[in-house]
Parts: sequence; structure tokens; C-alpha cells
Amino acid sequence: MSRLAWPLGAAALVLAAWEAVVRTLGVLPVVMPAPSAILAVVAGRWPLLLEHLWPTFYQTVLGFLLSVVGGVAIAVLLVYSEPIRRGVLPLLVTSQIVPKVAVAPLLVVWFGIGDLSRLLLAFLIAFFPIVINTVVGLTSVDEDLIRMARAFMGSRAQIFTKVRLPHALPLIFGGMKISITLAVIGIVVAEFVAAQRGLGYLIVMANGLLDTPLMMAAIAVLSAMGLALYGLLAAVERAVVYWQPPAETTAGGTP
Amino acid sequence: MSRSRPGPDSVEVEGVGKTYASGVQAVRDVSFRVSPGEFVSLLGPSGCGKSTLLMMVAGLLPPSRGGIRVDGRAVTGPRPDVGVVFQSPVLLPWRTVLDNVLLPVEMLRLPRGQHEERARALLAMAGVEEFAGRLPHELSGGMKQRVSLCRALVLQPRLLLMDEPFSALDALTRDRMALELLRIWEQVRPTVLFVTHAIREAVFLSDRVLVMSPRPGTIALETEVKLPRPRSLELQESEEFNRYAGALRRAIEAGDRP
Repeated sequence: MSRLAWPLGAAALVLAAWEAVVRTLGVLPVVMPAPSAILAVVAGRWPLLLEHLWPTFYQTVLGFLLSVVGGVAIAVLLVYSEPIRRGVLPLLVTSQIVPKVAVAPLLVVWFGIGDLSRLLLAFLIAFFPIVINTVVGLTSVDEDLIRMARAFMGSRAQIFTKVRLPHALPLIFGGMKISITLAVIGIVVAEFVAAQRGLGYLIVMANGLLDTPLMMAAIAVLSAMGLALYGLLAAVERAVVYWQPPAETTAGGTP
Repeated sequence: MSRSRPGPDSVEVEGVGKTYASGVQAVRDVSFRVSPGEFVSLLGPSGCGKSTLLMMVAGLLPPSRGGIRVDGRAVTGPRPDVGVVFQSPVLLPWRTVLDNVLLPVEMLRLPRGQHEERARALLAMAGVEEFAGRLPHELSGGMKQRVSLCRALVLQPRLLLMDEPFSALDALTRDRMALELLRIWEQVRPTVLFVTHAIREAVFLSDRVLVMSPRPGTIALETEVKLPRPRSLELQESEEFNRYAGALRRAIEAGDRP
């Protein structure tokens, strides 16, 4: 537990300093509300926040799952098909230069203001780390393990399911941890652009009303959601990848 | 010892050569036979192509020239009646010891039930039955290699191929493993083709030792080891044992000189 004590202590210090500065200098809430004021808004306007948290939450989870399924599928194609690897992989890597956030308005033009355009943006931002980590995981298997599996009559499919995929799991989880945080960004940005609900929409609306405490309360709730999702994923990782300590993330993405 | 038995030889290697795509000739014109139930070692310095030869017998590497038959049938790929023990244990880290031993059973989609009994019996024979439910990283190197031997024996192979299986172990563990290998071999009695660069290990284990000379590897000498079985570690101190070891060492040194 002392592992948690240090960062929690540091966070408490920062919050206390923030509170003290706002109070002693008398900073206006519209510029910078104190942490206590933000907390009061979270508690007092919880029904409103909850109403907007739900769509952001389920779309983030859906966008993330879409990225996992799509990312792993693309990785498998890249690993097992020479033409796809040679033709598509360089394009895929190059395409990551495009700032996907800038594509958000375009997606609205193409797919409307419904869930679909938001999910697509989340996918575009979040799938890439999963592709790269899965490719690395599937191809970094020790050749001796593959030779052993062949000696004991393993078919190509069996070598994939019994050797390559389990070997890749720690790296896939590493990719998923990056991906889940990126999925949140994708959904919120899409909500900035066009939405009638969601925490991203609430932030833009509160900004328009100069209601900074509500804006920061929404940001706090959003961060708590991201942290909870990340923690859940880490717990799943510990259960699934039981044979080794959690993998450090090895690839990044450009949101 | 059992060369007069009827039926085909367990292993027939005829005029086998291997040249890699890079142009390196690893093995040149090797021919030998192994009778059913016989324990034969391929002895030679590292890089003499003995492991390459073993991988060709296992069907994991196609020969460039010549033919290999196991139990009278030409080797075209890996086969279920041949078990292989590699230099490192190559266990799957996410599988328990028991599930690692049962991997060949799963690969062939055979019923797990009856084989699980055999797997447990093998683990008991190798003295690691209490680790059946553990993961490989909880085991020592010697124990992992025992598990790897059990995996190779789980389908009751007629031929067991071993590629320097004890070379990564310390000297004391190595001696004990050799002794246990003989004990298990005497109970299960597969034909064994054992690759090693350790002279004393080859003499201690084998009915026959084939000495390979390096680059490109070919068989330079064949010696029958007529030491009584069952063998104990004390045998290694006997004069007769050391005579065999000395003769083999001289043969290897002669082969080393161009």
C-alpha cells in the first residue's frame, strides 16, 4: 500500500496548495475555482453530470472494444499475409501522421451527428497502438518454441492459438492500456464537434455559459472515468496474463 | 546388442548431406543405422553438424541429399511416433507443467483423459509429480528439462531424439540427469539418438557412439560401448570406462587436425 501512499500524498499536497492559492489571492471562480468548489459542484449537480457521463462512458467502451477487435484482426492480417504487410503496413504507419482530431468534422459530414461518427473517431485514434503491439507480440516468439510446436505436430492454426497468441497477450494488453486512454480522447473530441449529450458536450456548453466550476467538474468526472477504465483493464490483465508481471507499454499513438 | 532383431531398423540414415542456402555445408555424406531399443550417441565438437543431423531425423529440416527412414518409412516431416528433447526445455510459460506435458496430446486432438494418467506417471518417474500444477518459471533448470523429457515421452514414441539436453545444466545436475535418463529409458525402452559434445556422457549413456568430425560433419568413427547395464555413476571411475573415453577423445582430436 505504500506504493499508493506516495502518489496520493503528492496529489493531496498539490490540491492543498491550489486551494490555498485560490483562497488567499481571492481568484474568481470563473477563472479558477478551488478544488473544494469543484467537489461541491460534482456533489450538487451529480444527476446532470451522471446524465452526460453515461453516453461518454458507453461510447468510450464501445470505441475501445472496436479498436481491440479491429486492431488485433489487422495485426493478424499483417503478420500472415506478405502482400498486405508490404503494401499496407507502410501506409498505415504513414497515416498516423494525419492528426485524427482534425478529421472529426469530416466524419460528421460523412456519417452524421450520431454515435457512428464518434465511434469511428475513437477507433481511428485508438486502434494503432494495438496493431503495432500485436504485430510485435505475434512475431517476437522464440524460434525454438515454434520448432518445438512443429516437432509435436502442431498445425499452423494450433501454433497461432497455442503459441503465438498467448505469447502476444502481454504486449496486446500493453497496447490496450494506451488505447483505452486514446478512446476517451476520441469520444470527447467528437462530442466537442457535434453532440447533444456527453461530457464533451457538457464541457463546451459550460464554457459557453462561463460556468468554469461546472466545466472543471465535468473534467474531473471524465478523468475519474478514464482512471477507472484503466484500473479495470489492469485488473483484467493481471487475471489473464498470470504468468508474468504486467508488460510495460511499448508503443505510442498520435491522437 | 539388439541388432539381430527382425523388421526394419529404427533409424536409417543414408548418404545424407545438408548445405544451407548460404552455401555452408553443415553435414556431408553421413550414413548410419540404429536398431530398435538401442541407445546411440552422436558425439562431436560444437559446429560439427550433429544437431543439424538430428533435426533432419526429426523431420524439422529437409536434407539436401540422401534419405532418412524411421521404422522403415521415409521421413518427410515431424511425426507422432518420434519424441524430441531440445537443448533448452522450451516449455510454454503460461501452461502448467502437466499441460506442457500434454501439449503433444492436444496437438493431435487425442482424448486428454487416458493420456493425463500417463503424463502423471511420467512426471512421477522423473520425480517432478508434485510440480504438476506449477508454472515453468517456478522450476529449476534441471526440473524443466525433466518436464521436457516427459513431454517427449507422453505419446509413447518408438524413437526419442535428444539434442544436447543437459548442456545447459551444471555438472552435478548433469550427472544426476544422465542417471535418471537411463533409469527412465530402461523402463520405457524407446530407441534413443542422443546428440552431445561431452565424451564421458556419451560413453556413460550409450550402447554405441558415433563420432562426428567437423566442417562439414561426417562420421569419423563408430565405437560399441560394451559396459554392463544398469550403469551407476561409480562406473565412471572404472578403468574400462576411461579406456573408452580416452579412445574417443583421441579420435576427436585426430579429427580436429586437418
